[in-house]
Amino acid sequence: MDRLLVVRCPALLSEDEGGAVLRTFAEVLTAVEAYCPWVTPVRPGICSLPARGPARYFGGEEALVDLVHEAASGVTPAEVGIADGLFAAVLAARHGVVVPAGGTPAFLAPLPVGILGQPDLAELLDRLGVRSLGEFAALPDADILGRFGADGAHGHRVAGGRSGELADLRQPHIARLLDTDDSPDTPEVTEPGFWGGVSDTDARAARCLAVAQELLGPDGVVTAHLQGGRSPAEQSRLVTWNTGGRPGGTTGGTRPAPPPVAPWPGRIPPPAPAVVHPDPVRADLADTRGEPVRVSARGLLTSSPDRLSVEGGPWEPLSGWAGPWPADERWWSRSRRRAARLQVVTARSAHLLLAERGRWWVEATYG
Amino acid sequence: MFVSVPDRHLSRERDPAALIALAALAERTRPVAASRTRLLPVAPALADLLPDGALRRGSTLTVGGPGDDGALSTALALVAAASGTGVWCALVGHPGLGAVAAGDLGVDLGRLALLPRPGPAWAEATAVVLEGVDLVVLCPPFPPRRDMARRLVARTRERRAVLVVVPGRAGWPEPPDLRLRISDVAWEGAAGGEGHLRRRRLTVTATGRRSAARPTRRVLWLPDADGTVTPAGCAGTGG
Repeated sequence: MDRLLVVRCPALLSEDEGGAVLRTFAEVLTAVEAYCPWVTPVRPGICSLPARGPARYFGGEEALVDLVHEAASGVTPAEVGIADGLFAAVLAARHGVVVPAGGTPAFLAPLPVGILGQPDLAELLDRLGVRSLGEFAALPDADILGRFGADGAHGHRVAGGRSGELADLRQPHIARLLDTDDSPDTPEVTEPGFWGGVSDTDARAARCLAVAQELLGPDGVVTAHLQGGRSPAEQSRLVTWNTGGRPGGTTGGTRPAPPPVAPWPGRIPPPAPAVVHPDPVRADLADTRGEPVRVSARGLLTSSPDRLSVEGGPWEPLSGWAGPWPADERWWSRSRRRAARLQVVTARSAHLLLAERGRWWVEATYG
Repeated sequence: MFVSVPDRHLSRERDPAALIALAALAERTRPVAASRTRLLPVAPALADLLPDGALRRGSTLTVGGPGDDGALSTALALVAAASGTGVWCALVGHPGLGAVAAGDLGVDLGRLALLPRPGPAWAEATAVVLEGVDLVVLCPPFPPRRDMARRLVARTRERRAVLVVVPGRAGWPEPPDLRLRISDVAWEGAAGGEGHLRRRRLTVTATGRRSAARPTRRVLWLPDADGTVTPAGCAGTGG
């Protein structure tokens, strides 16, 4: 399960009419982003970032929590915590703790079952004398599905720290709400193929994917949708696979053709990388003298890169490189910043690197 | 090579080559729902590597090399053509698919299910997916036990699906029906800060069982400048 850092801003948890909450939240995202470019808004007032890579950069998880806390608190009061999986990480933030890796089940155990946010389930469990997540998690798997249904079964896995998040933890479209810049609207691909044109094949696939989702949790089965964007990560969006439209209930007909994705200014020329790292991967880039390579104020490299180290691993000589391309600010960010992308080729691989605030990250790999 | 031809009057035709061409054509134009035939189409550049010139239902392939470079792209290129005809695909165990690259190769993202982090339940999840998805690309997140691998191979055969395994560091203990090895990977386009990565040349060597025991080698652009897969000259000339 992902090791996640969560920032929770108690004052921003519900939206207001004027949009001030979302504007403040966007500022929080920008502030937090200084430490890691992979910040994901979860819902108003809550965002997460993968903790592993940044923790390596900043000297451990505690140090990272302190830095992010300071950054976010500059905007609004914030709570920060780290745990395995989003559900536990949000609770860790509420308690301001770093739950050690693997310690999530023990951290969740004493909490009341009501925290799962399923009142019916909590009431039922209460009648059975099951009051804490630990007691719930201790119930044998075999009894759960029949007695508590699919939602209960998923809650059971979350309670035991075996699944990362509850289905309704993320607010859909939060990213779009935050999208305040004037970038041209690109049409989104809306569930092409899933239920348009119902066939036997589609129905069979739907059945087995629903079973897989019961096994792995709702976030365990996703699909990728293309959208406009400059970076490989921005050009596609993962969406929880949804059986919402059942095979029988669709209108059928031909599947809509995917809309053309408009050329996006600042885009890295094709071909696109086959691997886009979901977690930030730390990279170090050095020139022939072993000095770190940086991006200057003018968006140029301070010296020619000669070797690359990924995640603190051994130095690999570069056989080629190209760029840098200026990377504009991310969509929620108002502050201009100097960031750039660079393509590098080593004997083993070719990578797309992102430089931001003097640090290099492997954003994607041409795997 | 023998291709099953369901229509009786076709089997009375004399020319076997015409029969095969017809069967291949029928396979490509067949409505999705009825697609329970033996072969699934692949991109022309890859057809020579496969004993049937197509993916045979029920078979298991592995794709790997000395590094992991090119393995995922090759696996995606293998399933792309069939995906384009409406066959469902799933990618199990790869947390960071570049969806744009997959789409450029021809994978229909609307019929591609991703199970990015199945965790310890990866084998069970793969078995479940094989029930209803015809093309499954598996990147085992943990080293598979032999009995697990064997069960998935058996399930693939039974469900008449195609399992493409990218063993990566985890490995794959079962001998596949066809093994694709990637070597001599070289990027074109980026040198000393000029240009940009344009295309990648790699060599794919296919070794199979029985009729396919003799290695077949093809040099490919994968991805080519437009993100697709194309042949890059004859066998043995790359390097």
